[in-house]
Amino acid sequence: MNRSTWITKLITALSVIILLGIWQGGAIWLDAAVILPSPTTTLGALATLVRHKPFSLNIITTVGRALQSFLLIFMVGSFFGILAGYSKKVHAFLVPVLVICKATPVMSVILLAFIWFSSGTVPLFSAFLMGFPVMFVQVEQGVQLISPRLREMTEVYGFSPVRRLVHLVIPSMLPSFITGAKASLSMVWKVVIAAEVLTVPRYGVGSRMQLAQVHLETAEVLAWTLIAIALTALGDLLFQAMLSLPKYILTLRNRNRKVELCN
Amino acid sequence: MQLVGITKGYTVADLFLPVLQDFSLTVEPGTITALVGPSGCGKTTLLRLIGELEPYQSGQIIKVTEEEGPMGYLFQEPRLLPWYSVLHNVELVLRPWYDSKEKRINRALEFLQLVNLEDYARFKPDQLSGGMRQRVSIARAFAYPARLMLLDEPFQNLDTQMRWSLVNAFLTLWKQDQRTTIYVTHDVPEALLMADTVVRLSNRPMQILETLTIDTPREERSLGDPQFIAMQARFYT
Repeated sequence: MNRSTWITKLITALSVIILLGIWQGGAIWLDAAVILPSPTTTLGALATLVRHKPFSLNIITTVGRALQSFLLIFMVGSFFGILAGYSKKVHAFLVPVLVICKATPVMSVILLAFIWFSSGTVPLFSAFLMGFPVMFVQVEQGVQLISPRLREMTEVYGFSPVRRLVHLVIPSMLPSFITGAKASLSMVWKVVIAAEVLTVPRYGVGSRMQLAQVHLETAEVLAWTLIAIALTALGDLLFQAMLSLPKYILTLRNRNRKVELCN
Repeated sequence: MQLVGITKGYTVADLFLPVLQDFSLTVEPGTITALVGPSGCGKTTLLRLIGELEPYQSGQIIKVTEEEGPMGYLFQEPRLLPWYSVLHNVELVLRPWYDSKEKRINRALEFLQLVNLEDYARFKPDQLSGGMRQRVSIARAFAYPARLMLLDEPFQNLDTQMRWSLVNAFLTLWKQDQRTTIYVTHDVPEALLMADTVVRLSNRPMQILETLTIDTPREERSLGDPQFIAMQARFYT
């Protein structure tokens, strides 16, 4: 690691320490755990939560909902994004849907969904409605990023549709897929938890947060918030790891090739 | 190859604007024919019609047997896939023609060698200079078993020295495999040094003004020769 990366890491660490300091200072100054518990109290509450029985079930349910809606967004958003990218008619048809999805406040989607569906389905549905436009717009733009000149080249050199898809369309659109997936994934976490808070299904991080808030267990609310942050960060990390996997495999393969050449 | 009575135009606001009107041209098989004309006269459009990239309204394109089949097209830009290496770019177009990967790689390397790029086979296109990229696309076009070569000013946008090295790279490959070549340019000296036949074209709608046949072997041609000076003069009147 070189000097400048060290310095950036140091600055980030410093920022975290300052934030914790402000939190601790505020807790001391207010001197009321109901309003703002100290970081240590919150960590204590977190430790209790982890030991408490349906802890993993709450997490698994929320993660499950987030992943389900993310997969749905990814598939449906990609499908319609590609269609709309290729056809102006499909694009025109989908514009009103998109405008509604983008402009409706998250809370009204959740409230309406709660009237229509059971509490467990509401987070899924709301997250889908909020995340879908993000994925869709990225994929649609991705289609337009396919170079018409390269497309013409594939025509001249007699590429079959499958060969064109594999060697031109997918590589051209990959950055858009990644950006869309990343943006919709981080949105999904927030919407799923918000919907859980409002609808209080039996299990879920949001439900626990809501119950803690009702009982004025501020430390517990904060502890669940920390868990939500950790989940989002973990999701991002896993996503990044997934993206660097092909590159890693490629370097491994190249290394093996070099070894073969040397022998 | 023969082009007979080709008409091609665009309809803009119910008005038919012809680019080519009843255009005919004969190209001797196995030769290089240069089409020289002012910018926007329709020579690129003609090339695109021959390359089946665009339809035309009427007329006929008649090819002799050895010109039938796949075509190689050199564009103004190299048009390489940026995510693949130079070698992969060339190998990819060979897939329908050679089943064995080893054969494809060997053929790709052989042609990269002919344009002096074998050391760069594993590089990505954006790691190369503009001239090198265009050389890759020349290697790709010749590695591809095309029966007809269509060149749309592929040596433009490069400095003079690079240009001549590309022209020479092209001619080296062409001499090994003399495919019927139609070459569009507005650079007169380049056309006179490369082509067997130089066709001088008018503005839109494009018509043939003159056809010059050059018998002097390519190695003996010089722009300073009185014959070539006289030929050049005809383009600047």
